[in-house]
Amino acid sequence: MRKVLTIAGKELRSYFVSPMGYVVMVFFLGVCGLIFALTVSHPQAQADMRGMFHTMVFITLMMAPVLTMGLLAQERASGSMELLMTNPVRDWEVALGKYLAAMGLFTGLCILSLEFPLILEKYGDPDWGAILSGYLGLLFCAMAFIAIGLFASSLTSNQIAAAILAAFMLLFFWLIGWLSMSVSQSLGDVVKYVSIYENFQDFEKGIIDTKPILFFLSLTAFALFMTVRSLEHRRMI
Amino acid sequence: MIRTEGLTKFYGNHQAISEVSLHVNEGEIVGFLGPNAAGKTTTMRILTSFMPPTSGTATVAGHDVVDDSLESRRCIGYVPEACSIYPDMRATQYLRFCAGVRGMGKAETKDRLDYVLETCGLQERANDIIGTFSLGFRQRVGLAQALLHDPPVLILDEPTVGLDPIQIVEVRNLIKSLAGEYTVMLSTHILPEAQMTCERVIIINHGEIIAEDTPQALTAQIREAERLYLKVKSDDEALPRLLRDIPQVTAVSPAGDGGAAYHVDTEVGADVRAELADFVVKKGWGLLELRPVEMTLEDVFRELTTEEEGVE
Repeated sequence: MRKVLTIAGKELRSYFVSPMGYVVMVFFLGVCGLIFALTVSHPQAQADMRGMFHTMVFITLMMAPVLTMGLLAQERASGSMELLMTNPVRDWEVALGKYLAAMGLFTGLCILSLEFPLILEKYGDPDWGAILSGYLGLLFCAMAFIAIGLFASSLTSNQIAAAILAAFMLLFFWLIGWLSMSVSQSLGDVVKYVSIYENFQDFEKGIIDTKPILFFLSLTAFALFMTVRSLEHRRMI
Repeated sequence: MIRTEGLTKFYGNHQAISEVSLHVNEGEIVGFLGPNAAGKTTTMRILTSFMPPTSGTATVAGHDVVDDSLESRRCIGYVPEACSIYPDMRATQYLRFCAGVRGMGKAETKDRLDYVLETCGLQERANDIIGTFSLGFRQRVGLAQALLHDPPVLILDEPTVGLDPIQIVEVRNLIKSLAGEYTVMLSTHILPEAQMTCERVIIINHGEIIAEDTPQALTAQIREAERLYLKVKSDDEALPRLLRDIPQVTAVSPAGDGGAAYHVDTEVGADVRAELADFVVKKGWGLLELRPVEMTLEDVFRELTTEEEGVE
């Protein structure tokens, strides 16, 4: 596990050596702040974050590809992959280390964004149960998004291609829910089951159910598994 | 320490190496010599478990590089060709990262860090960002990380490429100082480099090992003739014929670079430069240039490959 943490630490550090970490931070908190300001300045505004989480998940969806695009693609492009992979580390240790770095950065952003509910607390009486459940849902979403982004990054040595691929895969899971309206009942249920949007809705309402948790966990596990396989496969070429 | 058996690697339809079998004994410095695209890097990447062979086996320190790769990788210090290191890290920071990834303890890391910084002459720039380093210093960081975990085997892929002459000498001396303590396999396409640093040379071309011996034996075996380069002012047609009559001269051929320039081949061990100069001056041909022709690697390959063809 020490090897994993070493890789995660190095990667987390490099987010803040380059402008990447700061840009992502400003983007996430800036857009959230804007939405928050718009929501609370409404005359009939309520002290909750239901509408906001919806936006936050979407921002995360756009941010995750940017956050993850360099993790493996950059190593491949610069050739540093060779030194990294000839260390006595297992493929999954590399993948997990990189994954934890991006998750760490995102968790940090979530903690910083707690300023919004704290402002609500000062001027109103928000339902903390719903807020925490919303954050939990956001974290589960991010787990899956970042795992998918990491997988995309493992497929190519071009960071932009990795980001676009990740965004495409994420949007697919996001938008697929809309299909449910135009297909048959039984197929619609299936489509709803794999839609990120549908699965997130419960969290937003303050309901913590096992079904969406299982959905996000399996999506994460599958994407991470595919990442490791992709790393293994790259050795074969 | 290193042993391969029938190593073959295909990239798609392209065969990079074919049936490479070699061994490197403990404490030996072996040069892996070949022109570009001969299969040196491919062989080394297989040995370091960066990629598996298509067929054949390889072991490092007794550990199979495919089945027991974690152990074999632990036994290797590797400097890849064009050693690419994270440019945004500081030298010590990077070395600490390497130590962490290799599972080294705190005390061990500290000891070895001091040692490699000193051995590789990095103390003064230990806390500088690698991106600001010259190629030579970057190569030193590469060597430092390879030595960091005190591996019994060092695999160095073209360690002197891109360095200036002073740095090349430094790196070669560093490698030589490792002899005995480490088993070293270094690849190069520069024949004198192999002659200077290695106890044994393995020559690879078109993915196949074509010769294997000490550098001295190898050059002696290849060098069946000494060759001189002669350039004169006169364009006397009779010149080659007359030169051939000098004792110990075996052949005279045009050097092919225009003007009256010739390659004069002589018997092994003979030095006819004085006689040749005398002769040219006496004839009044106007001596412009006279020097021995160094055996280049290209010549070695030409010799070795034509010999092979001769057998067929």
